[in-house]
Amino acid sequence: MVMNCLEFRRELNIHPHSADADFVAHARECPRCAHAQADALAFEAALGRALDVPAPTHLAESILLAQATAQRRERRHWRRDASWLAVAAAAVLAVGIGWRVTRAQPLGDAAVVHMLGEEAPALAYTAPVAADAVRKAFAQRGVDLTQVPSDISYVACCPVGKYKSVHMVMPRANGPVTVMYLVDDHSGRTSDFAHAGWLGRSVPLAHGTLVMIGHDASQFDQVQQIWNAALQTATRI
Amino acid sequence: MATDGSESGVSSKQRQFDALVRSLSGDLYRYGYWLCSEEALAHDLVQETFLRAWRSLDSLRDTASAKAWLITILRREHARLYERKRPQFEDVDEMDVADEREAYTPEAAGEEGVIRAAMQRLDAKYREPLLMQVLGGFSCEEIAQELNITPAAVMTQVFRARQKLKGMLAGDVKEAQWS
Repeated sequence: MVMNCLEFRRELNIHPHSADADFVAHARECPRCAHAQADALAFEAALGRALDVPAPTHLAESILLAQATAQRRERRHWRRDASWLAVAAAAVLAVGIGWRVTRAQPLGDAAVVHMLGEEAPALAYTAPVAADAVRKAFAQRGVDLTQVPSDISYVACCPVGKYKSVHMVMPRANGPVTVMYLVDDHSGRTSDFAHAGWLGRSVPLAHGTLVMIGHDASQFDQVQQIWNAALQTATRI
Repeated sequence: MATDGSESGVSSKQRQFDALVRSLSGDLYRYGYWLCSEEALAHDLVQETFLRAWRSLDSLRDTASAKAWLITILRREHARLYERKRPQFEDVDEMDVADEREAYTPEAAGEEGVIRAAMQRLDAKYREPLLMQVLGGFSCEEIAQELNITPAAVMTQVFRARQKLKGMLAGDVKEAQWS
């Protein structure tokens, strides 16, 4: 026997269910230790039963309800902030200070206000959505997107002001970039904009205009490249 | 807003959360109960744990480690709750505790009740590693990592936890066969 009785008893109190070869062999060859093991296993079974206190009825449901309630409260908070930001932005526009007026500004305004409205919680999503969901949203806007970029955590078909868009969020290293693709909008050229503390860029791309919004404009080049590649192969349905 | 696409994105996280709650809330509750020994507090503890888990669900990369991840959150939350609630327990005198123990007689609560009472009397430093091993199914290495002690210290503590528990039971239940 490689393991002696003392070592066996020590192991028995640490790992009663041990399947270690030496441990098993010792129990097979030593009747006293085998008896001790039977007692220890009976104790473990009783301990397991004692610790298995019943969880409250509907515990899972009460947790899910608390989570849903917290989420709704968070959304209301976002909406309140978004409304405040929209009012503040409008006030700034009205007194004519802060930024210069460009052709893309109305689109940028609409895009930022939309992003901070109903869809504000989407900025926090980071889990990737299925490629099929993205494809389906583009198809709904009349674009067959064969190559779907990865790292999209949110997608929806949204009206952005007068524009019809596919609204997405792409988590990046320096914060999320909101991406809106406005199918059949060919009214402008590449331009940067700023609104309510957010930076944006609109770029004519393939079958429409790509709008990107975030806090770090240096991330726009990479996102633009990704969508440039994806929309090259996309066809109009 | 059309909801087809967004629902896929939102609900994947929600589905993951639902699955975690439904599969692990019972285990988390038991762990919480044995940490604080109070049903209502354990319920609050588990609920707060899952609310915190929801907010940082994206940091959970490996579903196999979900239970350990949740237990880590629960332990931190318990530490916070304990800090807030500690003054409530300072006035509990030995007589109160003794009376409470008397409720757990073999006749009143059966064999499991006796073990439960003994578990509640076990020092936290022995009880917690034992709980992690028996309820959590964690290895000594995993427990060591969670408790920030060495695996050898964990082995010593679970060894002593069982010895102390059996010793207490031998005192409480004369006929205990594992004494």
